[in-house]
Amino acid sequence: MVAQSGPTLGSGESQVPEAGPRARANRWTPWVFRIGSVGLVLVIWELYGRAQETTLFFVPVSSVLAALWGQLQSAEFWDAFGQTFIPFIWGWLLSLAVGIVLGLLIGRFNTFDALTKPYVTFLNALPVSTLVPIAVILFGIGYASRILVVFLFGVVEVTLNTAAGVRYVNKDLIEMGESFNASQPRLFRKVIFPASLPGIMAGVRIGTGRAVVGMVVVEILLVAVGMGRLILRYRGRFQSADLYAVVLALIIFGILLQVLARQIERRVSKWKHEMEQIA
Amino acid sequence: MIEIEGIGRRFNTRDGGSFEALKDVSFSVKDKEFFSIIGPSGCGKTTLLKMVAGLVKPTAGRIDIDGQTVIGPGEDRAMVFQQFVLLPWADILTNVGFGLELRGMSRKESREAAKPYLEQVGLTRFAEHYPHELSGGMQQRVGLARALAVGPDILLMDEPFGALDAQTRQLMQEDLMRLWEVEQTTVIFVTHSMDEAAYLSDRVLVMDTHPGRVREILDVPLPRPREESTRRSPVFNELTSHMWHELRGMMGDPTLPAPE
Repeated sequence: MVAQSGPTLGSGESQVPEAGPRARANRWTPWVFRIGSVGLVLVIWELYGRAQETTLFFVPVSSVLAALWGQLQSAEFWDAFGQTFIPFIWGWLLSLAVGIVLGLLIGRFNTFDALTKPYVTFLNALPVSTLVPIAVILFGIGYASRILVVFLFGVVEVTLNTAAGVRYVNKDLIEMGESFNASQPRLFRKVIFPASLPGIMAGVRIGTGRAVVGMVVVEILLVAVGMGRLILRYRGRFQSADLYAVVLALIIFGILLQVLARQIERRVSKWKHEMEQIA
Repeated sequence: MIEIEGIGRRFNTRDGGSFEALKDVSFSVKDKEFFSIIGPSGCGKTTLLKMVAGLVKPTAGRIDIDGQTVIGPGEDRAMVFQQFVLLPWADILTNVGFGLELRGMSRKESREAAKPYLEQVGLTRFAEHYPHELSGGMQQRVGLARALAVGPDILLMDEPFGALDAQTRQLMQEDLMRLWEVEQTTVIFVTHSMDEAAYLSDRVLVMDTHPGRVREILDVPLPRPREESTRRSPVFNELTSHMWHELRGMMGDPTLPAPE
């Protein structure tokens, strides 16, 4: 027998908000302001740069972009980029992998939380840059210390956000899972892990930002290779346009990674965003 | 047959003392019976239901189902929650099959097995929608279908219509009656609503509070199937006003007017 569907059926459809022209206009408005804001700064930069008597210290943005374009054609830039980028990727991926696993364990098991809390608190309280000299003494100035520094920068945020994501999973969902007699591993896989994904992805996004900071710190403090060497050299020769260009390249790289992380987060936590829009 | 024998539950309070939520609760529920528990807020009726579900352990007494003492959740029972508790990231069909999935079925199989239950609650065309796209009443139909899909002997319902508006609530009660006549499961139904208890049940347990305990168990001598007109019968009115009299006494305010 089929239950008669009362008049309530179908009324739910109207709860889906329609993306009218107004909603679309609102979506683009922030972009107008963002682009306008950046454009304004670039114009001021350019004008102020041109007003300088020398290009030794402050360089107009057009010269910086020209220098960057020139560097993008050179093999030296890409070698340096590779030397910076490859250890970054390893340190970054390592921080995500370790941070997510650690965070899941900390969020799920109180014992594990207690065991690791001193270290997590320590890393969270400490400016990680202060560990760079120790990393250099232990591992030299090669890939290993670069990977370690990037890892240390990223791992804390990934861990803490993942743990929070697990800890704040709706208790009702867990109780529902238990009421259906799910085994603990299955409850974790089917309920707790997917419900923690928004927290995990927030950790990935914030951790990626921190790892990029770690990468830049490495370039400034460990100057023997990579982009840091270019910075040192251009600074020494007062090739300011080239110096600015290298810094700009690092910034652009950082922004691209942030955008990527945010896109992944959006995709994975789609249900959460949709729910929040309606709530 | 569910036998509840001398159930008690104490909670430790922060100041080191303890608080007795339930005391010496005994009753039994027959197979295929629709049994409601009603009582004022804080009488421990939800705690009692969760004990039958195996989610909360009693500190005294025991619960036997067909002679087996409950020590945890089991495949013979399924629960329907007041706040629906659907997976927000999964579509409706996956949600209906989720009880089966939690018991080891693959996603694909459970979705297939869920289809007839989705049809039973009249939501087939919403199979690929997400919970937040549905009204409260529809979401609870999904919650009900999820519980029915595991083929339980005992359906445990914790104020399932408590979060719905009055009209939706009445429709859901009528739908539940139709489903229950077909499914023939034992139901334990916790509610605040006297009308709901009288309309749905074979028997109603009225609970007293501080500590939660059995006040009385009422037989509901209304013919089945229950219909719209059931709500206007003299027996129905007599029952609800009796319940109101009992509950009002417990709430400590004898001056409150009785409902119409």
